[in-house]
Amino acid sequence: MARYDRITPDGTRDLLFEECLRREQVISRVCGIVRSRGYEQVITPTLEFYDVYSRAADYLPQETMYKLTDGRGRLMVLCPDGTVPIARLAATRLSEETMPLRIWYQHRTYRMLPDLKAKRTEIDQIGIELIGASSLMSDLEAVDLAAQALESVQENYRLELCHIGFFHAVMDRLEAPADVKEEIRLCIEQKNYAALSDLLEPYAGQQAASALHRLPRLFGGPDVLEQARGLIDDEAAHRSLDKLERIYSMLCELGLSSKILLDLSLVNLADYYTGIIFKGYLDGIGTDVLSGGRYDRLLSDFGVPMPAIGFAFDADLASQAAPAVGRPGPDAVVYAVSEEAASAAASEARRLQREGLTVILGTQETEAEALAFAKAVGAGRFIPVWEEKA
Amino acid sequence: MRPLRIALTKGRLEEKTIEMLSSLGYDCTSLEQKGRRLIFPIDGGKIEAVLAKAADVVTYVENGVCDLGVVGKDTIMEMGGTFYEVADLGFGRCRFALAAPKGTDFYAGYHTRRIASKYVNVTRSWFGKKNMDVDVVKIEGSVELAPVLGLADAIVDIVETGTTLKENGLEIVEEVCPVSARLIVNIASMKLRKAEIDGLIRQIEEKTAR
Repeated sequence: MARYDRITPDGTRDLLFEECLRREQVISRVCGIVRSRGYEQVITPTLEFYDVYSRAADYLPQETMYKLTDGRGRLMVLCPDGTVPIARLAATRLSEETMPLRIWYQHRTYRMLPDLKAKRTEIDQIGIELIGASSLMSDLEAVDLAAQALESVQENYRLELCHIGFFHAVMDRLEAPADVKEEIRLCIEQKNYAALSDLLEPYAGQQAASALHRLPRLFGGPDVLEQARGLIDDEAAHRSLDKLERIYSMLCELGLSSKILLDLSLVNLADYYTGIIFKGYLDGIGTDVLSGGRYDRLLSDFGVPMPAIGFAFDADLASQAAPAVGRPGPDAVVYAVSEEAASAAASEARRLQREGLTVILGTQETEAEALAFAKAVGAGRFIPVWEEKA
Repeated sequence: MRPLRIALTKGRLEEKTIEMLSSLGYDCTSLEQKGRRLIFPIDGGKIEAVLAKAADVVTYVENGVCDLGVVGKDTIMEMGGTFYEVADLGFGRCRFALAAPKGTDFYAGYHTRRIASKYVNVTRSWFGKKNMDVDVVKIEGSVELAPVLGLADAIVDIVETGTTLKENGLEIVEEVCPVSARLIVNIASMKLRKAEIDGLIRQIEEKTAR
């Protein structure tokens, strides 16, 4: 029988030293930002009942969840996302709180993924949820915090914005069967221009069809909005564009114009999101590191219809893009030359520690060994302590 | 920033892609005299090309180490993944088909069919859409051999002219879908390097529309 006692499961990994420092740095910066804007932390369990996620099947298919059972045979999952447990909390223990709620979390999430594609099954996420507010101001707050989170890792970030209302409005106008509409959505998501043309051919006379045909190309700068307006006469579609434009111009006033992109074809979670959608990219990372948006329907799944917006930031990927921090050695190694000097050495270590230095107490038998150790770990200083201080 | 990097599927698709790029005015001489290089500068290094097996093209693009890739729709369908599929390049045309021994009625009777294929995911999902349970057997080499030897009732494979099928006493039962070479783009690259990539796509589209 094969024994797997010296490796970690596919899609997981051990993080060592510098990797931990980098991640810690990323997380502490992001949580510093959201804390200073009034977000409070909650910690939800790694295990949740499957039922919590069963209504989320449209966007979290059951084959992507790790499942197990508890002692009473009830189905449980390893938490696949950070938002749904917070929706559960908002509907239960937090339902009497003053709204809006501002919550942040750091959560390890688990998704079952195809083998050997260099994808991780265990993802350390840090995220926020702003629950109980639907104003433009709440959209702006979430997007602004997303931009700050990205910027805290790398100057060269990009934040992409969409308003799903435009897609829905155009899709509602299209007279086509539901399964064809789903295929159209998929082609737009994948920017599959060729297949989209073929799919839309039978509906060529309709204005909605030509708008959908253009949709995957509607990404880039603010000119996208003008192009989109010209594509369809539909009040709901134009309202969505107006909203998007207001947020875009507010972000420009915050000095972010060079960082913001628009893409009206972010339709991969079209049934989950209900308003603004955004994704963040960092240089050198081939996928989005931050993803979020307005999801005004999720809370109704838990019986408390409330608007909400939030995002999740992938701390693992972000750490890869963060600048290297090296593996700093200790500032000093303090060594008690004799047993009598032990407490004096410990007290010297405490003193240095209080000064903010990193101190290692030498545990070696001889001073020569301790000195060799200090060299090997790159200690700044070697401090032998001879005897008890008077 | 590093040059745009494009992964080409080795072999015929590579030749056709080089032909296409050359006709668009890109200087591809480094790809014509390969030597021992692994990365080939195109147009004096404005673009870099790497050559890879079809499945690896998808992997490189999905993970963002290559910004663009040229790969067959067959590989895309089999591997899936998250990337943009922006253009049908029009070459490398063939089709996926279900083929069975000539003269047999594939759909007759009640037994569960066994299907041999190199493309197990394509096979599974196509029969899944038909609500038909089948046993899928993965064959790496000449799939036509499986029904001849009696391992499978039929095969799902890419068919160009149908000559190989005919020679092995097989005939097409049903066409699954057409296949051709596609241009795929990494999602982050598309956003971060929009102008460069969009420019290239437009050039290619104009070319393929003609």
